[in-house]
Amino acid sequence: MDFQGIYDRLRAAKAPGLLDCDLPRAGDPADKKDQGRAGDAFVLVDPAHWADFFRTCKQDERLGFEQLIDLSATDPAKDDENFWVNVQLLSLKHKHRLAVKALLPKDPGRIATLARVYRAAQWHERECAEMFGITFEGHPDPRNILLPDDWAGSPLRKDYEFPKEYHGISCE
Amino acid sequence: MSEQTTQYKPSITIADQQAAAGKGAREFMMDVRTTDLEVNMGPQHPATHGVMRILIRADGELVTGAQPHLGYLHRCAEKIGENVEWLQYLPYTDRYDYLSSMNNNLGYSLAVEKLLGIEIPRRASMIRTICVELNRIASHLVAFGTYGLDLGAFTPFLYCFREREWLLMLFEKICGARLTYSYLRIGGVFNDAPPGWLEEVEQFCDVFDEKWVEYRDLLMMNHIFIKRTADIGVITPEQALDFGLTGPMLRGSGIDWDLRRDMPYMLYDEIWKAGVYQIPLGSGAQGVLGDCWDRVYVRVQEMVESIKIVRWCLANIEPGPTIAELPKVLRVPPGEAYVGIENPRGELGHYLVSDGGKVAVRCRVRGPSFCNLPILEDIMPHTFLADSVAIIGSTDVVIGETDR
Repeated sequence: MDFQGIYDRLRAAKAPGLLDCDLPRAGDPADKKDQGRAGDAFVLVDPAHWADFFRTCKQDERLGFEQLIDLSATDPAKDDENFWVNVQLLSLKHKHRLAVKALLPKDPGRIATLARVYRAAQWHERECAEMFGITFEGHPDPRNILLPDDWAGSPLRKDYEFPKEYHGISCE
Repeated sequence: MSEQTTQYKPSITIADQQAAAGKGAREFMMDVRTTDLEVNMGPQHPATHGVMRILIRADGELVTGAQPHLGYLHRCAEKIGENVEWLQYLPYTDRYDYLSSMNNNLGYSLAVEKLLGIEIPRRASMIRTICVELNRIASHLVAFGTYGLDLGAFTPFLYCFREREWLLMLFEKICGARLTYSYLRIGGVFNDAPPGWLEEVEQFCDVFDEKWVEYRDLLMMNHIFIKRTADIGVITPEQALDFGLTGPMLRGSGIDWDLRRDMPYMLYDEIWKAGVYQIPLGSGAQGVLGDCWDRVYVRVQEMVESIKIVRWCLANIEPGPTIAELPKVLRVPPGEAYVGIENPRGELGHYLVSDGGKVAVRCRVRGPSFCNLPILEDIMPHTFLADSVAIIGSTDVVIGETDR
């Protein structure tokens, strides 16, 4: 299925929390500032129904997303109120992908875990939590994965300040 | 009997898994008391292929829990991606999975090209395909050779490295570097192949086709090797899907999925339609479907399929330009794109976000080694300690990529 087919199917299946979709578009040649949007189409999902949305994606026969390929977040700008939580789903049976995005307010930055829907999400969420300071509610193993346990701050936030020293080692 | 071991507090916590939770002392043979012991495998252990630590909890010879600890090689690749220009980030891609740098270059270049919406010259795609497939062979040779080494077979390792050396020499001729190539650029390849290079690649293919049969028989059909890998570390197809495994790990469990065929990029659709290559799958030939032997054998068979793809490219390559016209300072139009390609270890994904500037807003890397590793938490409990090396080796993990 192409993206429009997947989106229509999500609508027909009444997927919980489905808000909107965003399609790439060409820029307006008359307006130099309007460059359009390149890349992939994605669907926007309400973070309040996060896990239920993915349950539908996995269980619906015609969507058939068996695999969660990637889960990460994006901090679009320092003064932006929201994180984006990005998920890439893959269906091996139907040979299609779906990009899912949720706008998650930075304060408090809490979202449900997907580890019980897709086991693959567990490590991705651990990485995402330490890099952005997002809390995944109900996560079975919420430890740091790449950073040391005592690391302060969330490095992939745009407002992150690089530490001057770490355990007496100068970083400058 | 006193409960003297009830104070034991396991530091491994694996939720959702009753079987692996420490129950303290057990009684065997009347009064022989065994207790759980935590063993650190790594960070400096030859069989972890880098600096990874696996905390293994063992009850005598029986592994009751395993937990990988990562991060010893973390180099903030994603943060660097948000701080350097699009073209400048390319050398950093070499360093995630340093055994298949050509593939990493390709994954990043394709993602940026998708945002730019540019067409790549056909000759550039041909050279890209040749380099990527040769690098896949080099990477699988290391995987195959060191796996034998892990299990005590020293000889195949030497042969594998001999052939790999030839490949590295070919790469050195085309781009000047042995491991960190940065040769596949955004828009094409850095420069055309030097005179005589394609003929040398053909010579390699001729020799490798003969040698491959010997290597396969030397290790894969070895009785001791089969005894140590068959029926060990079985990953069921359901587990493989749930854990998001990709690449040979997925195909070793018998799931027919290869991005080159199923979601083709570059010229792979044309090559598949020409009937050039097959997708090898695990079949449980020596034991249960999805065991260590199946996973390794998928890699061994993939090498010879890659040779077929290289031969097709050599037969069909035509003169032409090798890089598209691009400005010196690249500005990528605003948008976001995800591109996944078939690396030797699985799906390498790049999720890039641009706001129209010279620098990325987000440069997310989905490394296959990172995603193939958590399965150890599930398949290592209830195996023998002696088999742990066989199981870890069969995941073919490269630490540069798990930690990025």
